Amino acid sequence: MNDNYLWDGTGEPDPEIQKLEELLGELRYQPQPLHIPADITVGRKRSFFLPMTIAAAIIMFAILSALWFQFSRKPNATTLQSRQDAPVTPTNVRQPESSPEQKTATVKDEPKEQKPRRQLNRNLLAINKPVKRHETLAPRLTPEELAKREEVLVALRLVSAKLNLAQRKTVGVPQTTSPNIIRNQHKIG
Amino acid sequence: MIETQATADMLLMTHPFSAPAEKAEPVEVALVRAVLEGERDRFARLYEMYAPMVHGVLLARVPRDEVDDLVQDIFLHALKKLDTLRDAAAFGPWIAMIARNRAMDFYRSSRTTVEVTEQMAVAKTPNRTAREVLDLIKQLPDAYRETLVLRFVEGMTGPEIASRTGLTPASVRVNLHRGTKLLRERMGVAEARS
Repeated sequence: MNDNYLWDGTGEPDPEIQKLEELLGELRYQPQPLHIPADITVGRKRSFFLPMTIAAAIIMFAILSALWFQFSRKPNATTLQSRQDAPVTPTNVRQPESSPEQKTATVKDEPKEQKPRRQLNRNLLAINKPVKRHETLAPRLTPEELAKREEVLVALRLVSAKLNLAQRKTVGVPQTTSPNIIRNQHKIG
Repeated sequence: MIETQATADMLLMTHPFSAPAEKAEPVEVALVRAVLEGERDRFARLYEMYAPMVHGVLLARVPRDEVDDLVQDIFLHALKKLDTLRDAAAFGPWIAMIARNRAMDFYRSSRTTVEVTEQMAVAKTPNRTAREVLDLIKQLPDAYRETLVLRFVEGMTGPEIASRTGLTPASVRVNLHRGTKLLRERMGVAEARS
């Protein structure tokens, strides 16, 4: 068998293969025009699925990260933010340093401007430190009132001592000078 | 001989040295690109180039009366799905695979086939018609019959079959050799030739 002729038609022709070629050549493809219907769409389809998916993923990521950032912040941050968002008043603005005389002058001239500053500071303290302080401040007493209070306290002590003595007499307990004396002691050894 | 001559030419520098030319872009690539960009008429050129190959692939599998219609259907299907072709240079193997799948679908849908028996093949005289020889080829294994039809019916050479179908030249050569030998045995004219 001549392989070259079978392979690419070169070399010495093989009569049997030539006979097969002639015989089967009758069935060879007869060119016919291709009828392309008009409704067939040709061309690359622009798929918007992938870009839309990417855009949706980016938007979702942005929303989720914003939510996470919002809920993961400490409560102090909100108060700080609120303080930052507070309207700027002259008390918030740092005043340039001035001499004490000028300070006193400004304080005297503008006494109403001090109130909002104190109020603001109290509010901030209350927000940042919500611990309730139960402080009962003692009323300030004059020296006369203090002397009278001392007299009352001495009288109360006397009355108390007298009542204690009377109670001991009625019960029959021996009178002692000091309540810390140890009774019924025995020598050891 | 050719290698010896090429080596001698290279050593003696009988030919002026020239840099290897860049591999030209296959025609199919430009045609596919043009069709995808909207030039539908360019698909007719692809049809002209590959219709014989598709015809041969189908002829090796389905009845001859059905082949022409199937060729048209396959090319229209390819035109619709051309945007799914990733490598435009592989248009030939791609459409050959479409043709093979379509032939399988044809047999799935219509089971009424007449099987050619061995006795029918041997009983005939050596003066056979083309259809009878084609029927004998269809009895051969799948790898052989497609290659033989493309070679004997469509008149393609081995390298052409390899480039159009995407098979390796070595595979085509082996298929041609063994398929022809088997066909001769089936036709009763097999001779003990090396």
